[in-house]
Amino acid sequence: MIALYRFLFLIFLIVLWWVISLNVRANFIPSPWATLLAAQKLLADGKLIVALGDSLITFAGGYALGILVAIPVGLVMGVFLPVGKTLEIYVYALAAMPRVAFIPLIIVFLGLGFPAKIFIVFLGAVMPVLINTYAGVLAVDQELIEMARSVRAGRMQIFARIVLPSAVPFIIVGLRLGATIALINTVVAELYTAVRGLGGLLAIYGNTFRMAEYFVIVIVLAIIGVIVSEGLRHLEKRLVRWKTSD
Amino acid sequence: MTSGSSSGEAAAAASAKIVLSGVSKAFERRNSGTPTMALQHLDMSVPEGHFVSILGPSGCGKTTVLRLVDGLVPPDSGSVLVAGQAPRPGPEMGFVFQAFRLIPWATVQANVEFALTATGLNKHERAERAAHYIALVGLQRFAQSYPGELSGGMKQRVALARAFASEPSILLMDEPFASIDAQTRELMQVELMKLWAQHRATVLFVTHSVDEAIMLADRVVLMSPRPGRVIEEIEVGLPHPRWQYDIRATPRFIELRSYLWSAIRDLVLNDPSSDFYAPTSGAASTPAD
Repeated sequence: MIALYRFLFLIFLIVLWWVISLNVRANFIPSPWATLLAAQKLLADGKLIVALGDSLITFAGGYALGILVAIPVGLVMGVFLPVGKTLEIYVYALAAMPRVAFIPLIIVFLGLGFPAKIFIVFLGAVMPVLINTYAGVLAVDQELIEMARSVRAGRMQIFARIVLPSAVPFIIVGLRLGATIALINTVVAELYTAVRGLGGLLAIYGNTFRMAEYFVIVIVLAIIGVIVSEGLRHLEKRLVRWKTSD
Repeated sequence: MTSGSSSGEAAAAASAKIVLSGVSKAFERRNSGTPTMALQHLDMSVPEGHFVSILGPSGCGKTTVLRLVDGLVPPDSGSVLVAGQAPRPGPEMGFVFQAFRLIPWATVQANVEFALTATGLNKHERAERAAHYIALVGLQRFAQSYPGELSGGMKQRVALARAFASEPSILLMDEPFASIDAQTRELMQVELMKLWAQHRATVLFVTHSVDEAIMLADRVVLMSPRPGRVIEEIEVGLPHPRWQYDIRATPRFIELRSYLWSAIRDLVLNDPSSDFYAPTSGAASTPAD
């Protein structure tokens, strides 16, 4: 039922888009039909696929690197509280500042290619995952830990059976926030370093007022966002099956 | 009142399974920073195989006694001995917590098996043992369910199965039936009596229910409000098994019940930190402070 409503709402959005495109002068808003034709052309000459590939490499590389760093660091900070209390103020400070400010510095050190792009995405993705992992470990139920101690479970066992599973829902929240920022930073990186990928096409078509092509890129980015967040929602459902809605 | 076997006290203490002598314990308060005395110079001994209820008003450090006996926290002063040694948490002692403390992301089976991690049983034996005790509390159909899918009474049965599964020589129970409804509680009390009849552990059972304390125990230990001390120990002296007759109708039960009720009432009325503090209310049997 909800699927049907969602579909109907999509139709409504497309109609709305079409109506607006008819009423805005000078082709600032392309019609859905023109956008579809542009998409076909971009697909046919391979430009879209190449750009998509570039962007996905940047996105996935930076995001994966962020996760690989953030989850272990967050866990260590949460498990060894002196480490956590020492580092947290710096982590929060870094998370609060606009990390786009680092881009000139990154370009100086890493150039304009993939390493720089991946690092920019990494910087965006790492903080939300790290902070949520840390918060998840801190939120563990101390009574469960005492229960585990009362049956003489070892430290590793307490970590694996109590602490880690209890942090999983928090980690997933962090992964979702991280994915959003990683996608934003992918485009930012492609705009500010070597102009490539979907962000590069966005700049080219935007600057030359080729609005139909520009819209194709915008929609592709939206679709990537939907796929990634739905994938994570699916992962969450699998990992926290025990949470019943009562 | 016919109080505990004061003549044989020394002999009983010598062969006792659990001995607390001169135990004091304070806790840091989160917000104020000043420590609160939970227990002060507490002496208590529990003979092997006995079922002892610890009865007292809320917040008298009853739970602290259990945590000390389990070795989860050390005493500030005095000594705690279990089987002649300083206690160490483990499968030799089963702990039934007030709020169940089941692992939400583990099935009933896995929750019970978790209590067997340090028993030295292999994987297969652990699974078998857990299944046995889950069946014993009548939950075999729910072995693969998660705690979130169970009612309060069922959760408490899982907690009982978990505590019994390691076949401990000591059972520590912290108001285990306080948060379940009255009917279920009565059934669970009988269930506990039957489990105990099959597997005769030394039991320390904390409760604030006078009826429950008498019904289950060989001996009732009455504790004062904070800082907790033992005020009186009373042998119940009613024959086991008690689910086979109406224990509440026996003269002994009625006598004990009214005595303990008035004792607790006096404790609460004379406790300055209680909501019902009324020191002028001419308490007849106020325990000497």
